[in-house]
Amino acid sequence: MSNEKYYVPHGTYWPIIGSIGVSTLFVGFANQMHDVSWGWPVMVLGFAIIAFMLFGWIGTVVSESIGGLYNSQVDKSFRWGMSWFIFSEVMFFAAFFGALLYARVLSVPWLGGEYNNIYTPELWEGFKSAWPLITTPGEVGQNGVAFSTNFKLVDTWGLPALNTGLLLTSGVTLTYAHHALRAGHRNALMAWMLATIALGVVFLGFQITEYGHAYHDGLKLTSGIYGSTFYMLTGFHGFHVTIGVIMLTVILYRIQKGHFNLENHFAFEGVAWYWHFVDVVWLGLFIFVYWI
Amino acid sequence: MDYFVIAVIVLIFFFLGAAVIGLLKGGREGSDKMFKALRMRIILSVFLFIFLLFANYIGWIEPNNFNLLPTQ
Repeated sequence: MSNEKYYVPHGTYWPIIGSIGVSTLFVGFANQMHDVSWGWPVMVLGFAIIAFMLFGWIGTVVSESIGGLYNSQVDKSFRWGMSWFIFSEVMFFAAFFGALLYARVLSVPWLGGEYNNIYTPELWEGFKSAWPLITTPGEVGQNGVAFSTNFKLVDTWGLPALNTGLLLTSGVTLTYAHHALRAGHRNALMAWMLATIALGVVFLGFQITEYGHAYHDGLKLTSGIYGSTFYMLTGFHGFHVTIGVIMLTVILYRIQKGHFNLENHFAFEGVAWYWHFVDVVWLGLFIFVYWI
Repeated sequence: MDYFVIAVIVLIFFFLGAAVIGLLKGGREGSDKMFKALRMRIILSVFLFIFLLFANYIGWIEPNNFNLLPTQ
């Protein structure tokens, strides 16, 4: 390794395309927030440019890897890059789980007068310190505070439990795929990968159905601290599952193209870890959001 | 019972962390370490889910009843 020359990337146009994509996205987003008619289309255009950049840039990297341009130093860089990405993902979800914990265990009981042994007057008539905070204040009118409509919570043993089973099964099928890759069983590898992707897609379908039910029952992002933590956690998780399904599909395509062998399959390992992580996050959501 | 559930979750995270170490290490040895750690993590996760279903079924633990509140 000491004799290897460090790989210096060549000039590339992908970063400037990415910058144009991000700028377009934010111009569209800002104008959409001001109800400007062209806000949405410009936002969609920004997304499309970013997606184009991602597929193009990653495609270039794959071609270079297959072309034998990378040495062990570059391999090490990829592994460190993935590890930092993993660290950022863990911190991202830790922040949202932390917000949920803070609201449930500390701030809502404080508002109810707990821990300080001092009677705290009600924040508003009918305020009850409980989790979830079902009744939240709405608009202030002539007759005082009008409460928002109560919402119904998602039944733990309905779709959430089914989705937990589905995602855990996808973790099992991915583990079989990983084993098949290491054993050199190409057909089994592709079949298990296909099963993992299918389970991920079904999970997303059920999650969309559940959101439909929750919204219909009055649970919205604006439904107080419960609604906001519920949608932020499950929404970002759903976004991660979507990204995971896209990455698994790309990996399946690369398997079909014969990009991996017994010794060299870092891309598969990175995506596999990501999927296992998303699976564990869901298990945490099932226990701390839907159940306890 | 809550402590048991939390202990299993901590163990699951430990194996996820061990898998990252394997990923970082690379090579045959790192790859083996990663695969074994991920395999342990899925075994523990499936065990925890089945345990929760079982414990709920026989009444050891119950979900908070807040999901049974009526809609007004």
